[in-house]
Amino acid sequence: MMNQKNLKIQSPKNEYETYHMSTRKAGVIQNIKKDFKANRELYYISFIIIAYYLIFCYKPMLGAVIAFKDYVPMKGIWKSQWVGFKYFRDFFQSPYFVRLIRNTIWLSLNSLIFGFPAPIILALLINEIGNKFFKRSIQTITYLPHFISMVVICGIIKDFTSDTGVINYFISALGGKPVTMLSVPKLFMPVYVISGIWQEVGWGSIIYLAALTGIDPQLYEASYMDGANRWKQTIYITLPGIAPTIIILFILRMGSLLNVGFEKILLLYNPGIYETADVISTYVYRKGLLEFNWGFSTAVGLLNSVINFFFLIAANTISRKVNDTSLW
Amino acid sequence: MMNCSNKGFKFISIFLVSLLVLSTLSGCGKKQPAAAGSSDTGAGIKVTYPMKTNVALKYWWNWSNQYAKSLNEAPIAKELQKKTGIKVTYINPGASTAGDAFNLMLASGDLPDIIEWNWAGFPGGPEKAMNDGYIIKLNDIINKYAPNLKAYYAANPDREKMVKTDSGNFYNFPFFREDEMQLAWYGPIMRQDWLDDLGLQVPTTMDEWHDTLKAFKEKKGATAPLTVDSGLWYFQVGAFAGAYGVKKDFYLENGKVTYGPIQPGYKEFLAAMKEWYSEGLLDKNFSTSDGKIVNANMTSGKSGASLGGSGGGLGAWMQTMKDKDPKYKLVGTPYPVLNKGDRAKFGQRDPYGNSDGAAITTKCKNVEIAARYLDYPYSKEGHMVANFGIEGESYKMVNGEPQYTDIITNNPNKLTRTDALNLYTLIRGSGPAEQDKRLVQCESGSPEQLAAKNNWKNTDQAKHDIQYICFTQQESSDMAKIMADVNTLVNEMTIKFIMGTTPLDDFDKFVKQIKDFGIDKAISIEQAAVDRYNKR
Repeated sequence: MMNQKNLKIQSPKNEYETYHMSTRKAGVIQNIKKDFKANRELYYISFIIIAYYLIFCYKPMLGAVIAFKDYVPMKGIWKSQWVGFKYFRDFFQSPYFVRLIRNTIWLSLNSLIFGFPAPIILALLINEIGNKFFKRSIQTITYLPHFISMVVICGIIKDFTSDTGVINYFISALGGKPVTMLSVPKLFMPVYVISGIWQEVGWGSIIYLAALTGIDPQLYEASYMDGANRWKQTIYITLPGIAPTIIILFILRMGSLLNVGFEKILLLYNPGIYETADVISTYVYRKGLLEFNWGFSTAVGLLNSVINFFFLIAANTISRKVNDTSLW
Repeated sequence: MMNCSNKGFKFISIFLVSLLVLSTLSGCGKKQPAAAGSSDTGAGIKVTYPMKTNVALKYWWNWSNQYAKSLNEAPIAKELQKKTGIKVTYINPGASTAGDAFNLMLASGDLPDIIEWNWAGFPGGPEKAMNDGYIIKLNDIINKYAPNLKAYYAANPDREKMVKTDSGNFYNFPFFREDEMQLAWYGPIMRQDWLDDLGLQVPTTMDEWHDTLKAFKEKKGATAPLTVDSGLWYFQVGAFAGAYGVKKDFYLENGKVTYGPIQPGYKEFLAAMKEWYSEGLLDKNFSTSDGKIVNANMTSGKSGASLGGSGGGLGAWMQTMKDKDPKYKLVGTPYPVLNKGDRAKFGQRDPYGNSDGAAITTKCKNVEIAARYLDYPYSKEGHMVANFGIEGESYKMVNGEPQYTDIITNNPNKLTRTDALNLYTLIRGSGPAEQDKRLVQCESGSPEQLAAKNNWKNTDQAKHDIQYICFTQQESSDMAKIMADVNTLVNEMTIKFIMGTTPLDDFDKFVKQIKDFGIDKAISIEQAAVDRYNKR
């Protein structure tokens, strides 16, 4: 039965190519008809999936049109008035525009530079541990913060960084001057990035650990024979072994470069450190959503997505050119 | 692999696909025009309660209480239902998410029959809420179906003025306060027991405050003598800034709208706060604190002074400490001034009537019944239910005067008065009715709370108050645009100046920047709205 099916799929495909060469339009339609007759069930199955994407993924995207409208829910999307690029102009002309872009990129870039390698390093370290019990404990402890609610996490961070908190306790024990870290503009980035690593490092390392198990142990044995030590093995076998995983995850990460953790910043920041902590999404929250200005929020969100989209494409293209790993 | 019969499989696929298509289509077709009118009985003004109707209403209200899941479970809701004969289901979003829930409800277009909200807080104001088709204009409805509210307006024309729009439209069944003593409920609070220990008087001037806080720090070991949260709302109310003749907001100066942070007085105020901060009198963590931290500071001996409400602040802190530290005592101090004997210029003072209230939505199918239900608490009998609850249960009549029973004043389940009143009365800061003075007197049962209110109300705030004014659509969008940036800047710089991150010499730059953001335009918009209000 399996074979029969495969044959059915194969044959029209070849025909398609011949049609394609001669009469293009008529050919395609005829071909689809023919193909449809031959593979009805497959088409029906695919309809469901296509319908799912149309309804739940593409139809809502039409809603992005309110970025260009003075949206009033009771009038509906289509009856609301057009305002053109007003919201985009408002955003670009905002006195805080430069600061917001700078903070957003600065925070996410630092999270990327310091946060992205952290789980890889942790995974490599865990991989070197022989004792099973110790290994499991480390893993459990490091991925635990991932499951704690953001509100609680931010409460903990606030406590730790206050002038009487744990961190300042050590600082003053070492002769430093205690300071409420979240009230000093230049300390926000480190607090944000380091706490981010603490939260996600264990969780992020799981996928790399999984990739590590896929490396052929014979490679290690062979290299051992050749006299490679643990360090050399890591450099020449382990890292190249998980490189595809690293690259794919990196590309995906590029697609959300401008999406800094909105919730976390909102819970951590205060007017005193707007200078370094205010990002696009928190500004939009204050200005757009609290004022019910859905159009404005949508416009900025759309802009954000477009920029992210280009980052994603760029990262993918570069990766495809440089080495053969890419998303598509 | 393909064991299922082809025919059956086909059928299922087609069925599923058509189901999906149908569900989208029906999703689109949902937007029906709202039934505007109602089954107008045209009946006269009066109606006898309880009414005989089987109409059920949905009523959205940001009501929360730790002792009941929703208002539906509270005795007051059942009593109202019994008295009016109208079945109402309350929808309560839960306090912390109320704004989001309200926003989502509007965005979805799926509205209940009645929404209780602060309609001045609706961007664009109540007039826009009506124009956009969320809620209906009530002028005719009140004429026809709300005789009690109509009578109330006739008797109190100045309060009527507070709750309508510039163009004379009514949009809700408002919340009113009966008496002057209900208007002020927020202000500075200090540890009376510490003052007594140190042999100090309640401070009234900024200098006395400074010395008192210093004594708290040095002799009482307070690490953060004055604790406040980073919301800076108290500066908006006028605490401390008021001593220098300004507050962090718009206010009237001889009838002219003024914006505080660009006045020279604001610089003096910042200088004073900066000094307090650098001396360690103002909480070092004030820029990161929130309400919870302030509560903890006030009940742990870390702090000796703060700002808060008579119930939520002063009352709650004393309640918390009652068993832990029997000596713990607080005092609501007067708003501080510069020179001894002066009367404070600013303080918190709510208007008698405001824009909080119940509006009927465009989705309401039976406007008459909704209006009748909302009108009931303005009647004589309804007033008693709304303010005192159930006769024989939560109050009884003694010599013609209502008196709360032990359920409220000495609850067997250890509920505080505030919580008990929450379950047995309707109007706790919002709600369609007039709040009785006696309710508030009972709630602020402790002499400290009443004394605090007396201290706090003793300001000139009334002269400088801007009422709940209305903006036109254009004005409100201009205001939103300007003020979003101005507020960001003022909050940011106020904290930075106080902490010394930015030197006070930059104050002129700060003022210039606010002006660049268009504060003059915002002031003229406010002024125009105030003028329109005065002409109402």
